[in-house]
Amino acid sequence: MKRFIARLLFLSIISTLPLNAARAQRQSTETLIRNATVLTITHGTLENTDVLLRNGKIAGVGKNLNASANARIIDATGKFVMPGIIDCHSHSMLDTINESTLAVTSMVRTQDVLNPTDVDLYRELAGGVTTLNLLHGSANPIGGLNTVVKIKYGRPASEFLFPGAMPGIKFALGENVKRSSQPNIPGVTRRYPNTRMGVEEVIRDAFTRARDYKRTWDEYRAAAGKDKNLIPPRRDLQLEPLVEILEGKRYVHAHCYIASEILMLINLADEFGFKVKTFQHVLEGYKVAKEIAAHGAGASIFADSWGYKIEAYDAIPYNAAILTRAGVVVSMNSDSDERARRLNIEAAKAMHWGDMTEEQALKMITLNPAIQLGIQDRVGSIEVGKDADVAIWNGHPFSVYSRVDTTFVDGVVYFDRQEDLARRPELAKERATLEQAEPNKPAAPGQLSPQGRRRRPSHESGDEI
Amino acid sequence: MPKVRSRLPVAVLALLLVALSLNLNTNAQRSAIDTYAITNARLVTVSGPVIERGTVVIRNGLIVVAGVNVSAPPDARVIDGTGLTVYPGLIDSYTNLGLPEPSPTPSPGGGLAALLPLPSSSPRGGPNSTQPPGLQPELMAEDAIQTSGNEIEAWRSIGITTALTSPRTGVWMGQSALIDLSGETPQQMIVRSPVAMHVGFTPLRGIYPGSLLGVFSTLRQMMLDAQRYRDSMAIYERNPRGTRRPDTDRSLAALIPVVDGRMPVVMLVNTEREITRALDLASEFKLRLIIAGGREADRVAERLAKQNVPVLLSLNLPKRTTPAMAEVDPEPMRVLRERVEAQQTAGKLLKAGVRFSFQSGSLTDTADLMANARRVIENGLPAADAVRAFTIWPAQILGVESQLGSIEPGKIANLTVTRGDLFARDTRIAHVFIDGRPVDLKPPTGGPSRNLLSGAWSVNVNLGSRDTSITLNLRQEGDRLTGSISGPLGAGEISNASVTSAGEVRFTVSVNVEGQTSEATFAGTLANNEIRGSVTIVGSSPGTFTATRSGQPN
Repeated sequence: MKRFIARLLFLSIISTLPLNAARAQRQSTETLIRNATVLTITHGTLENTDVLLRNGKIAGVGKNLNASANARIIDATGKFVMPGIIDCHSHSMLDTINESTLAVTSMVRTQDVLNPTDVDLYRELAGGVTTLNLLHGSANPIGGLNTVVKIKYGRPASEFLFPGAMPGIKFALGENVKRSSQPNIPGVTRRYPNTRMGVEEVIRDAFTRARDYKRTWDEYRAAAGKDKNLIPPRRDLQLEPLVEILEGKRYVHAHCYIASEILMLINLADEFGFKVKTFQHVLEGYKVAKEIAAHGAGASIFADSWGYKIEAYDAIPYNAAILTRAGVVVSMNSDSDERARRLNIEAAKAMHWGDMTEEQALKMITLNPAIQLGIQDRVGSIEVGKDADVAIWNGHPFSVYSRVDTTFVDGVVYFDRQEDLARRPELAKERATLEQAEPNKPAAPGQLSPQGRRRRPSHESGDEI
Repeated sequence: MPKVRSRLPVAVLALLLVALSLNLNTNAQRSAIDTYAITNARLVTVSGPVIERGTVVIRNGLIVVAGVNVSAPPDARVIDGTGLTVYPGLIDSYTNLGLPEPSPTPSPGGGLAALLPLPSSSPRGGPNSTQPPGLQPELMAEDAIQTSGNEIEAWRSIGITTALTSPRTGVWMGQSALIDLSGETPQQMIVRSPVAMHVGFTPLRGIYPGSLLGVFSTLRQMMLDAQRYRDSMAIYERNPRGTRRPDTDRSLAALIPVVDGRMPVVMLVNTEREITRALDLASEFKLRLIIAGGREADRVAERLAKQNVPVLLSLNLPKRTTPAMAEVDPEPMRVLRERVEAQQTAGKLLKAGVRFSFQSGSLTDTADLMANARRVIENGLPAADAVRAFTIWPAQILGVESQLGSIEPGKIANLTVTRGDLFARDTRIAHVFIDGRPVDLKPPTGGPSRNLLSGAWSVNVNLGSRDTSITLNLRQEGDRLTGSISGPLGAGEISNASVTSAGEVRFTVSVNVEGQTSEATFAGTLANNEIRGSVTIVGSSPGTFTATRSGQPN
């Protein structure tokens, strides 16, 4: 236990040290990881196996692979290689998460507010995570548009975007949407809706408007050829994404808790002829697992969080196992910058609670979230031709004592424990210099003696580099 | 004869008046003289090489001639410029000068206050607008400009003759004007209006857009709406008979020059990612973008140069404002680096070929402006380029290079005359000419912007029946005010403290009156080294107070 705590402390201390752009450039375009235990996800666990990463792709998986002369060779004897973890519910790197003034905010885009310097990204890389589904918050029945990213920490935000990922949107049901936790302010009207009935009505109204909007545009396009003097309909950024949902071009990721509201959304989706791609959190999913499976939706859940609000009282830790057995594609997400660093342990819990197999558990943080985001042809397993998004672990990722040595995204190292440790003295020196600079001198008279100053490592307290 | 005699004194009086007006000091605003010659001065023309000893002649508000072999015209008022340097009038390329102060609102604290919509009286809204305040691009700085004010005086006293002034708040903030900082009417001050549309990314309170997410969507939707409004109107005007008349919309109409790329858009952004987002939005709608703020613009320099996007670079350089304290964690490296690197941005922009000009960036202490320009020069910007960033570069960026920015014949006679180099530590501003006229200079130590409130004050509080004496210690840094009280009313830190450029002081503090602890609000005005005003204590009848200086800050 002591070792475990020490380990956790250590993990909480490592924080920053991104590779800067220049260092990322210096990375070899070819890396051969030798003699590892490879958790392929789709083809079982391969002992004493090499993995070749070339030009951003997995170029080979097998014994005694050859690499070109300038390849970087990593001896991974005794180590584990697994695909980069995919977090299907994240709010990292968002400068703002909720546009809460309206009940329908499908016009807002998380892509507009990305912060590629968010230090949480580096910490997630240190936990073996390489892909995030960045979702709008849960303040509205219909929230903003999502962004799927690869964690290319140190690179511009535009390079984070996951090419070809299906566009998505956040929906939300229940307490957050009803604004249950918001105080009543005298003289201020509460935002509609205040009940689950109202939530349903808001979504039905929005899709009714979207259907009309689509018809208006269809009619205009048909008539515009004949009549040059027709004034075009107004482009409505709120309704355009909803039309995309109706046309099957955008995935719905719906935050939900209780069984009745899950059934409500399934019925509503059937009524308008669209599909819910994932139910997020879905704590009572086990009660309606068959219905979720029949709709074809996935479930993205927590391992064992419950009781933190009224609608979370009926949660059980067997949710993952029951949903999986019903045929639902299940992923484990973080919804938290902190939990995101240890999704491996969250997945492992499913083996403990619900007797899931190691492969089933691993899939919940790799291939399954990839399927839920429409990127399963690119990531989620170690197969030739897939993106070189992999992490080298110093032990089995389901052990609490294991940690990540190196994380690759598109074949480029974005986290390396040894480099991180090696850079710390350099950073301490830089800090000392910076603190002496004129603009950093304390404002008021009364310098402190060095002993009076509480010192912490140079790389802590929210640093980002 | 009697007639003659009676006329004579009048004539004498008239002559006397003329003579008097000639002899009045050169600072007289309404002087009959309109021709001046500054002789034997060092002329930093900016458009050409520095003239070490020359004469500049101005007449009727314009520069007539500047050079070595120039003699003063006989009707000119001659100023001996020996030991003086003449610069083109300095331009501050982003201010709110001349615009009314926003009505005082509770400081944007957290909690419930942040959720409440703002009272409808502020910010200012346009009449019959289709949009709420904060989303009204039709607002014009021109319509709100006032000719006087302490800020205008303070700015021209450090040699700023011209300023871009923009409405203060909003997402679509409105349209800016370029003004000369002297004139009897707002109309006289305006050099060019509108200059640009201004966009801030601060969400509105209580209504959509209430977050940065919504701000971007709102900007997008309104620009799409403006494009459609333009097209609909064009279709309607071609064929009014038989076409349903579109509703008129002043907000959308104001955006048409923006989406057509005719009017530049100034976006207030500082960090690398904010600037990148502004560039992306401008590319999406083919806007003529100008960056204002630009603290980390050097990190996006390549793209700024390629897209020919200029930067109105803020000289409000970040610096640590907290004292050293044992119990506080060291500051993050990011913050430490940011403060050091902000000083180097201008030098790096120059090397990268990005056009930029200087602006005060809501600095409240005018002394900081030149001090920070000095820091920028020490960190890699050649001094001659720093002069350009205050003169010809802003003139070019703001589209007035044929009127302002250099000492050339035919340009507006805005001149800043210094004793010593513009950026030297002990330089004095000797004369400032605006539109050909000398203007009054306020001594640099005047006004509360010089942190005049700092110090110990002995305060006499009169609460109706009785007087109480307490001690007040204040510390002012620009518009930041902190401090504490001690005495019979108890001891404690003041909070919610503010000070305006007009010397209006406000703060609240917990006091102990007759065994009851209550909140006291002090509101007063600093004048003649005294603060006088009223004090309101919850549960007591209102009183008055007078504070006199009792010592320096401890």
